[in-house]
Amino acid sequence: MTDAVHFEAIFFDGLSSRPQPAQATVDGETLVVRPERQEQRYALSTLKVQPPLGRLRRVIRLPGGARLESDDQAAIAQLERRLHQNGRLWAVQRLEARWQAALLSVVGVVLFGVLFVLYGLPALAKAAAALTPPPVLTSLDRQTVRLVDNEYLQPSTLGHARQQQLSRAFRQLAAEAGGPYHYRLLFRDGGRDVGANAFALPDGSVFVTDQLVRLAHSDQEILGVLAHELGHVKHRHAMQSVYSGLGLTLMISVVAGDVTSAATVAGAIPAVLLQGKYSRQMESQADADAGHWLMRHGGTTRPLQDILQRLVAQDEDSKTHSRVLDLLASHPGVEARVAQLKAIEAESGR
Amino acid sequence: MAEASPSDVTPAEAAAPPVTTYPVQFTGEPGEYFRLWIVNVLLSVVTLGIYLPWARVRTRQYFYGHTWLDGQNFEYTANPVALLRGYLLVGVLFAAYSISQQFQDYWWITGLLGLLFFALYPFLLYRSLRFNAANTIHRGLSFQFVGRPGGAYVAYLLIMLSVPFSLGLTFPLAVWMQRRYLLTHVAYGTTRAEFNKDVGVVYTIFLTAVAVMIAASVVVGVLALVGVVAAGGLGRLDDWFPNGGPEDSVVLFIILGVIAYVLLLLLYASVGQYLRAALLRYSLQDLYLGRTLRLQTSLNPVRLAWINVSNVAVQLITLGLATPWAAIRRTRYLMAHLQVQTIASLDDFQAAATPQESALGEAASEFFNFDLGF
Repeated sequence: MTDAVHFEAIFFDGLSSRPQPAQATVDGETLVVRPERQEQRYALSTLKVQPPLGRLRRVIRLPGGARLESDDQAAIAQLERRLHQNGRLWAVQRLEARWQAALLSVVGVVLFGVLFVLYGLPALAKAAAALTPPPVLTSLDRQTVRLVDNEYLQPSTLGHARQQQLSRAFRQLAAEAGGPYHYRLLFRDGGRDVGANAFALPDGSVFVTDQLVRLAHSDQEILGVLAHELGHVKHRHAMQSVYSGLGLTLMISVVAGDVTSAATVAGAIPAVLLQGKYSRQMESQADADAGHWLMRHGGTTRPLQDILQRLVAQDEDSKTHSRVLDLLASHPGVEARVAQLKAIEAESGR
Repeated sequence: MAEASPSDVTPAEAAAPPVTTYPVQFTGEPGEYFRLWIVNVLLSVVTLGIYLPWARVRTRQYFYGHTWLDGQNFEYTANPVALLRGYLLVGVLFAAYSISQQFQDYWWITGLLGLLFFALYPFLLYRSLRFNAANTIHRGLSFQFVGRPGGAYVAYLLIMLSVPFSLGLTFPLAVWMQRRYLLTHVAYGTTRAEFNKDVGVVYTIFLTAVAVMIAASVVVGVLALVGVVAAGGLGRLDDWFPNGGPEDSVVLFIILGVIAYVLLLLLYASVGQYLRAALLRYSLQDLYLGRTLRLQTSLNPVRLAWINVSNVAVQLITLGLATPWAAIRRTRYLMAHLQVQTIASLDDFQAAATPQESALGEAASEFFNFDLGF
C-alpha cells in the first residue's frame, strides 16, 4: 500500500486550548483522528491543509474550528498531493528552500528592474498617455502656459503681421495633423536664457521664440520645426515622459519603502513637461513626421536639416543656456537626425 | 518542540497560587528567512505587485510560526485573496490621489479623496484589527478584536483633532487612548485582555524624549560652536589652509554645519526609536489576559532603539539585502525578553461561543474583511 497515510499529530477540538496527542490515519475517503478520548472522522474533502512554509509544523484545518498539527512533513505532503491542495505554493516552497534559487532571485530582481525601466515602463507610459482624456490635456496646457509666462518667457516683440503670417501657415499644418487637440501657436521672447527654441505642450499649444524665428532663413525652416513639434503632440510624447517620470518616482519610493512620499516627491507635471526629456526614439518619430510633411510641401527635408545644424552651432557659441526649456538639451545626436532626414528625402525621391 | 517547556516554577507564597513563568521563544533563522524574503521580492516584482499579499501572508506565517510558547507555536491564517482586494482598493485610491494632485483643475478630487481617507481611516483600522486578530491562532483558538468602530473614531480622529489646538499637549493622551483601544479589546477565545495603565507614564515617556532631544541639540550646537571658535581662535585655520583666505573659514563652517545637521538627524531618529520602544515596553509590561495570565517584558528601550537604528544603517549599506537579517535580529531581541506568567493552566482557555464574523452577511464580511497593511 503506497498511499497509506498515517501520522502522529496534535489535535485541537476548536473549543478549548488543550492540545491532545493523536494518531491520524487516512481510511479511504475519510481521515480518522484518534486523540486520547473520542475518535473523530472527517471526509477528506472537508480538510484544508495550510500551505507549507520552511520547516514549520504543518497544520490541517478541520470542520468546526478543529485543527490538527503535525511535524510529519512527508505524510502531510502525501496527503496534500492526494487532495490536490497547495500545488503552486509547493513550487514557491521549493524555491525558498534552495540557496541557489535565492542567489538567482537576487540576480533576477536586478535584471527585472533594469528591463522594466528600459522596456516595461515606456510601454506602460505609452498606454497611459494614449488613454489620457482630452480634458486633462487641456487643463495641463493651461497650467503650463501660465507657469511658462510667469517664470521663463517674455511677450513677443515680433510684428503683428509676421505673427499672423506664421499663424496662418501653422493652422494649415495643424489641420493636417488632426486629432482631438486644441492647436495654437504662441509667440514669446526667449531672452538670453531660453534663446532660439520651440516646444509643444500635450494639448497642442506650441511655443516658438522670437530668436528661433529670426534664426530661420525661410518660413519653410520654421514650419519644419513646427511640424516636428506637432509630431510630439500627435504621438503624446510629452504625456509619455510625464508618466515615465511618475512611474520611476513611484518605483524608487516603493523600493525605498516610502510610498506615501511618492505623491509629494513626484512634483508638478508642468515642471516635468518643461524639461522636455524626450527619448531618441520619440525625437526620431517626430523628425519622421516633419520630414514627410516637408517632402509633401516642397519636396525636400533640407530646411529642417539646416535649422537643426544652425541651432547646434549657436548653442556651441553661447554656453550660457539654461538647461530647462532647451530645445537642444532634449535633442541629442544632431548628425544622426540629419542623416535620418536625408534618408527620408532619398527614399521619397526614388 | 521539546525545548519549549515550562522553564521555572517560582516558589509560591503560602496563600498565593503557584505562578508558572513561560519564556517566549523565537526560532527564526536569518539565512532561512532571507531565502523566503528574496523569493517574495522576486515574485512580487515579476507579478507587478499581485504577489504582494501572498508575500505578506508568508512573512507573517514565518514570524508567527517561529514564535513558541509552552511547546505550541502561533499561526497566521489570513487568506491572501482577501488582502489582495484591500490592496487593490487602496492602490486605486492612492493612484487617483497622486494623479489628481498633479492637475490643478482636478484638485477637488484630491481634496475629496483626502477627506474620504481621513473620515474612513478609523473604520478601516478597526476592520484591519479585527481581520488580523481573527487570523491569529494559538493552541487551536483564534484571537478576536471586540472593539467597536465608534471607539476607533474617538481614539484616532476626535482626540487627534485636539492635538494642534493644545500645541501637542494632548498627543500623549491620544497615544494612551489608542493603546487602550487596541489592547483592551483583544480577546483570546472568551478571555479578554485588560489594560489598566496610567496615562501619566505616557507623559513621562514623551517628556523624557523631549528632554533628551533638547539636551542633545544643545550639546551638538555647543560642540559645533566650540569647534569653530577653537579652530579660529587658535589660528588652526592657517595651518589647515596655508594659502587660504576668508573663504576657507566659510568652507570649514559649512562642513561643521553639515556634520551638526547629520548628527541632529541621527539623534532625531534615535529619540523617535526610543519613544516607540518605550511605548512598546509600556504596552506589554503587565498586560493581563483575564485574571490568570500576564505578560512580562525585560526589554530595554535604549537597547531596542539601538537595534532599530543600527538595523537601518546596515540595510542602507547592504542596499536592502540585510533587511531579513535585521527583522530576525529585532524579533529575537523582543521575544527573548518576553515572558508569560500564569497561575492557571494554558490548556483551559475556551473558544468564543459564536464567532463574531457571522454577524454580518457572508458577502459583506467577505468584502470588508481585508487587511490594509497598517
